[in-house]
Amino acid sequence: MAEELLKIRLTVNGREYEVGLGGSELLIDVLRDRLGLKSVKEGCGEGDCGLCLVIADGVPIHSCLVMAFQADGKKITTVEGLGDGENLHPIQRAFIDVGAVQCGYCIPAAILAAKHLIDTTKNPSREEIRRALRSVLCRCGSYIRFEQAILKVVGKT
Amino acid sequence: MSSEEEILKRFAAIEQAREFYIIGKKVSRVDALDAVLGRPMYTGDLVTGDFLFVKAVRSPYAHALIKGIDISRALKQRGIEAVITHRDIPGENDAGSLIPDRPLLAVDKVRHYGEAVALVVGSGIETVEEAIRLVDVEYEPLPVVKDPFEAMKPDAPRIQNRDNIVTHFKIRKGNIEEGFSKADIIVENTYKTQFMDGLPLETEVAYAFPEKDGRITCISSMQNPFDVYNKVVKILGVGPEDVRVIQAATGGGFGPKSDETPIDIAAYACLAVKKTGKPAFAVFTREEATTVQSKRHAFTIRHKTGATRDGKLVAWKSELVADTGAYISKGHLVIARATFHCTGPYEVPHVWADGYCVLTNNTIAGSTRGFGAPQAHFAAELQMDALAKKLGIDPVEIRARNILRPGSLTATSQRIDDAGLEICFGKVVETARWHQKRREYEELNRTSSRIKKGIGIALLYHGNTLGPEGEDFATVHVRIEEDGSVVVQTGLTEYGTGALTSLVIIVAEILGIPASWVRMERPDTSAVTSSGPTVASRTTVIGGRAAADAATQLRGRLAEVAAGLLGCSPDELVFKDGVVSVGGDRRRGIGFRELVSEASRRGVELRVRGYYIAPPTRWDPETGQGAPYNQYTFGALVSEVEVDTETGLVVVKRMTAAYDAGRVINPLGLLAVIEGGSIQGLGHALTEEIIHENGVVVNPSLHGYIIPTASEAPEWIEPIAVESPGRIGAFGAKAMGEIPVVLPMASIANAVAHAIGVFIRETPLKPERVLKAIREAERKER
Repeated sequence: MAEELLKIRLTVNGREYEVGLGGSELLIDVLRDRLGLKSVKEGCGEGDCGLCLVIADGVPIHSCLVMAFQADGKKITTVEGLGDGENLHPIQRAFIDVGAVQCGYCIPAAILAAKHLIDTTKNPSREEIRRALRSVLCRCGSYIRFEQAILKVVGKT
Repeated sequence: MSSEEEILKRFAAIEQAREFYIIGKKVSRVDALDAVLGRPMYTGDLVTGDFLFVKAVRSPYAHALIKGIDISRALKQRGIEAVITHRDIPGENDAGSLIPDRPLLAVDKVRHYGEAVALVVGSGIETVEEAIRLVDVEYEPLPVVKDPFEAMKPDAPRIQNRDNIVTHFKIRKGNIEEGFSKADIIVENTYKTQFMDGLPLETEVAYAFPEKDGRITCISSMQNPFDVYNKVVKILGVGPEDVRVIQAATGGGFGPKSDETPIDIAAYACLAVKKTGKPAFAVFTREEATTVQSKRHAFTIRHKTGATRDGKLVAWKSELVADTGAYISKGHLVIARATFHCTGPYEVPHVWADGYCVLTNNTIAGSTRGFGAPQAHFAAELQMDALAKKLGIDPVEIRARNILRPGSLTATSQRIDDAGLEICFGKVVETARWHQKRREYEELNRTSSRIKKGIGIALLYHGNTLGPEGEDFATVHVRIEEDGSVVVQTGLTEYGTGALTSLVIIVAEILGIPASWVRMERPDTSAVTSSGPTVASRTTVIGGRAAADAATQLRGRLAEVAAGLLGCSPDELVFKDGVVSVGGDRRRGIGFRELVSEASRRGVELRVRGYYIAPPTRWDPETGQGAPYNQYTFGALVSEVEVDTETGLVVVKRMTAAYDAGRVINPLGLLAVIEGGSIQGLGHALTEEIIHENGVVVNPSLHGYIIPTASEAPEWIEPIAVESPGRIGAFGAKAMGEIPVVLPMASIANAVAHAIGVFIRETPLKPERVLKAIREAERKER
């Protein structure tokens, strides 16, 4: 690894971390390789697929397009912060219940996109749901399942 | 709109399913919890400690001689541990997944853009990427064969040391001249489909490390661990005991992960380990994956179809040409499946078809979900609509007069023995309110100038599982632990299809225990015997039979113990709800777990290997006549579209999909597969296209190759499950994994033709193509 040139502090899933950086690391690499949060996936490295989506200070961002130093001081949520095997977040529960999981690779990102919508939009319309999900590609085509999971959580089904 | 609860209830209401304990009921995916928790399970998540990166040096040319490879500059770089060329391969330099025509590393010639020439091994991905630029390969460019028709000319440059035509596959049924002499109308058209990428979102990835005993373990993402294992053993030139391949959770398969690139990536990592003695990691970038992973074949299909005045098909002549790229991969089998299915699911007395699989300097085409069927159905179904239009009858009417019914003979003269197609067809027409919508949209289009609406239909038959494509067997190992939990392990893999959950359901059904008592272990070549490839939608159908065999053996052993304990004969026992009882009377029963512990105490072996092999299929290679498949899946898809005549943009609003799954084992899985396959097929129809320019892939990215997002997915897909049990599948199950991707191209293209009044016979239906068709139609009208 390159020499440590700077230190950042960030809060991830409620826990504070101090991370030494060489300066060229991406946020996704810090989350995956330094903090061990493997739910954050890379599907393209170019910001097209959205599998690296995390929530930073309440905003969904592509962690493959963000330099790690830009995350200094931010509060970040990944799927690891939502629930554990015993206590699932309602959206995680709903994803299982409606049968949203196929290959599973996009699921953490899709769950975060769904959670962000539920947290920020009261009573989302179907158009709003589709727009929120648009930021994550699912090649298995589980989009209607994701939508059903969201509708379930907001009490529309 | 209905919730999945309602849909599943509808699925489960199917009469035949009522006798079952778990089959056909809602069971969540066995791995769904891991997925929603984001647990580390994919290859890239499992890498730990120090490791080296390995990456390929790839050809910038589509066709060139290699005059020399100089690795000295790259080797001198700090952090570079090895540069591997074909000379350094200890075993055989052959990575062809089925046919040994493809070197792992090019020797004296590259035949497609992105072909691997050398491997660079070093610490840190940046170091390796830098050194790749320092590998000096001297190329002498050769003329590029861009097109299969050019490749078929006698004087075309040869791609390999063989004829460019790999296969000429024939169907000869009846007497084609006689057939056409009976035709009142004849329709002739040429159809073209594009190269596409199955595009699993997890790219090819492998992590290999040396074990203390010298063996190399490789964890990787793939459909077929044994194909990878067998090739890696040969490439490394080691004994079968020296390599172990484990399939990690796999982020999508769709065919490419059953072909060439999983072998490549595992071989790269294992070669690096062999050379350096250190752990090694290899992963494709999106650009690499999209360039070199095997594509869906681009097809050109010429159809000449004759029918009587009252719409009965009498003769069908076809020529199909598939561009398989520079190496064969599975192209010879894809052309066979496409040619077998070239008339669509219709009875035609006289058929003459020639299918050609042709080498070019394009990137490799091989297995992709549907395996030639989407292309074949696209052409056949548009041809049917063209006939209907010429005869002035409804598309539903022409189909009703010609579909395969019980007793009908297919293009290969195979007798159909169930009514799956009739039922699916009837259900979609009714559920989609076809006739009403057809009239409504035509009415609307007369007054609406900009937005035109259309509704289209396509029907499907799909020869099940391998048939002519290989030995159709499976093995499934099942053991019962002393605590009563059941462990299932097989060489068949999960990569999103949900099929392994079906195996769990089948085992739980036969043992009469909740599915949650059964768990799957990862496929591991050291722990299980080969189970054949996980392709051709065969896991539930064929693997399900092997799982049932294993569970039945175990049930027999437990029944013997229980019969002794309960004082009855073994065949009086009922296994249900975790209790084994006499005739279902729980007072005269024993808990499954208690029974297992008693059986274990008595030394009863509760570890078995289940096996099943499908009957071999037979057909005449000269005429294609015979029974190439053991059973057929049937289906019908209605699509409703809106076309913006100013921009050419097509939006699919709604789909109604009926599939004859034979027996619905796992309804929640089936629902996801129907919706997901329909959406993937929508991408094939509208946007997806791998573009080669002079053999070079110019759009190897997710912004150059556009797959559907949530916004492009239809507002609703109405799923309809039909159960017309198949002859060989587990509990009557038919192949479903690939199936829903087959019809969207055809169904959507027919809907667009209904909307704009003109057929577009080339995919994808991208805006400029649609617009051009609209303008040409307008010119003709004037």
